[in-house]
Amino acid sequence: MKHIGMAIVGAVLAASVTAANAQNTAADIERQKAGEEKAVNLCSTCHGPRGISTSPEFPILAAQRRGYLEAQLEVFRAKTREEKIAHDFMWGIAGNLDDPMIDSVARYYAAQPPAPGKPGDPTLIAKGKQLFEQGVPGRGIPACANCHGADAAGVADFPRLAGQHAKYIVKQIEYIQALVRKAPVMHGIVKDMTPAEMQAVAAYVQSK
Amino acid sequence: MFTDGFGHFVTGDSAAIAIAAKAVWNQRLESVMMRKRITTRLAVAAGLAALAITAISPALAVPSFARQTGQECIACHVSFPELTPYGRYFKLTGYTIGKTFVSSAGFNYVPLAVMAQASVTNTRNNHATDPDTGDTVTVNQRNNSAVFSAGSVFLATKVNDYVGGFIQWTYDNLATTANGTLGGHSGIDNTDLRAAGKYSSPGAAEPDLIYGLTLNNNPTSQDAWNSTPAFGFPYTASPLAQTPAAATQIDGGLAQQVAGAGGYLWWKKMVYGELSFYHTADGAFSILRSGQDIHTDGGVAAIQNWNNPYWRFALSHDWGANSVMVGTYGMIVNRYPSNFDPSTATDRYRDIAVDAQYQYITDPHTFTAQATYINERQSYNASYAAVKETGAGIGAGPTPENPTDTLKTFKLKGTYYRDRKYGGTLAYFSTTGSADGGLYGTDADGNARTPNSKGYIIELDYLPTQNVRLMLQYTGYNKFDGAKSNYDGNGRNAGDNNTAFFNVWVAF
Repeated sequence: MKHIGMAIVGAVLAASVTAANAQNTAADIERQKAGEEKAVNLCSTCHGPRGISTSPEFPILAAQRRGYLEAQLEVFRAKTREEKIAHDFMWGIAGNLDDPMIDSVARYYAAQPPAPGKPGDPTLIAKGKQLFEQGVPGRGIPACANCHGADAAGVADFPRLAGQHAKYIVKQIEYIQALVRKAPVMHGIVKDMTPAEMQAVAAYVQSK
Repeated sequence: MFTDGFGHFVTGDSAAIAIAAKAVWNQRLESVMMRKRITTRLAVAAGLAALAITAISPALAVPSFARQTGQECIACHVSFPELTPYGRYFKLTGYTIGKTFVSSAGFNYVPLAVMAQASVTNTRNNHATDPDTGDTVTVNQRNNSAVFSAGSVFLATKVNDYVGGFIQWTYDNLATTANGTLGGHSGIDNTDLRAAGKYSSPGAAEPDLIYGLTLNNNPTSQDAWNSTPAFGFPYTASPLAQTPAAATQIDGGLAQQVAGAGGYLWWKKMVYGELSFYHTADGAFSILRSGQDIHTDGGVAAIQNWNNPYWRFALSHDWGANSVMVGTYGMIVNRYPSNFDPSTATDRYRDIAVDAQYQYITDPHTFTAQATYINERQSYNASYAAVKETGAGIGAGPTPENPTDTLKTFKLKGTYYRDRKYGGTLAYFSTTGSADGGLYGTDADGNARTPNSKGYIIELDYLPTQNVRLMLQYTGYNKFDGAKSNYDGNGRNAGDNNTAFFNVWVAF
């Protein structure tokens, strides 16, 4: 009898867990759907279909790292990322997103196929490749690949740069260098970067 | 007569109506030959119709929409009221991005916005000859004086996820009164109420179809491209300036006098189509012409109910930082010559227009260009018959000498902005049309005049903040109401109406 009773309890527990999992899955699907709707119906207006924007003023989001996307939406919402375009466009958009929506929008874009690289000036790209892969040891600029990955696809919460608009990359480096965008680690890395170096590394990652 | 919401006197009706609608001083400038054609009835109408003039007051950046979305003006506007691609999306999706002003979370924002303009106008030659007395009269009663021009209040908000809109109410501090002096007058301005939805097929990356309904009081005010008249350049102009008498119906001739209802589709943000029908803004729609002169013959437009179709078709494409549109729009207006007598036959105005827009929007450089050409065919089925039969028009209606006339307008402008802060615009405009002595009078040799006017606008803008615009605008005329020189028969030349306009424009 004792064994039968334990079996019944076990079955009930198993059924409960299964049901709970099913509910979670349903909730997850619903949440994911909401994020996709938001991305398709709102974000795509500037960030393009599936996160591939055409205007270099708006970053490509396709295949971006999920953790990075979440973090950025959170700082937009908290109004602590303050460059002009963030202030003018994204504070309002992110201000209307709750945590589950941020999570699902980030998941949506992280799951999209990446934008193809764009060709550019080969000389500039070669310079950028060298900087990206080796940094400038003599001036204390480490290789970008250390954090952003050898293929610039991003690592963990370090953002993907591959395929990104060169103009957007340059502007962000400038903002970080000028402490307009607060990114202490990156500031230390780019603080001495020259405009020519910014252009070169941006052309390289855009081509990836 | 009315302005188009941007301070332009507008008509498209007969010259008689146009003249009646112009500022009172301008009547004095008409030639003796012209005066002979103006009946006493029209002269009375002229004075009273002037009451209805609601001068400047563009409906533009609506700051309560900024509060609704949490975004800045430049998200939707290149410079108000010119829309960015995102601004077009916001408008065509029914102004529904962002929060409602009240939600379960409480009160989110004030759905009201306020706009005000103050200005100084210089009219190149501020003296003209009164055709009645031969006296020298002042053209611009506030020449070189700083004046508060106008103020507007907007109720602008998202109602729910599918419905939104704005209503603008404007106080004009420089309206021309019946006795020719300037005084305050208020009334409704451009209004656009929408219901809209989106359809996306499974797995779509963008909405496949945006669809909606619009209710508005000015044909083309519902349009999302700034090459069409209601929100076209100039975005504001001096309320004290002299402006040509003739304009097409679709170019403000019905503004704030009619109610239009229709539907639109926008497929993949590439193909846009709209069909609407217009009705005299009376009865249940009378709020849409609030403040207009409904008590004077010639005071407002009366059109055959719903038998005035408006259409719009446009192809648009965005790539990189570029956005381009080519399109066509038009309207058929069946208008009663006299708004006091809807039992008569109607005159028919057929406006067919083509337009194009190009925008290059980056940080810091922005360049935009718009062009439109409007061809209006005026068929005076009612008025011409009346003139032929009785020698007079119907009520205060047109008195054409021809059964049909044409009126053509071309407008082109290019704008550059740096940092959305420092801007410059060059514009060219031209109106040409049939000579018709009944509408436009005759010259000293007895030849029928034309409505031809053409000129240019040079504008410099400085926006210290996104909702404040300091503006210096110069409008020059090479031809005015049919002639380069002596257009009024009393020696006034087109260039005498050249206008320098300094304006401070604030919206919050």
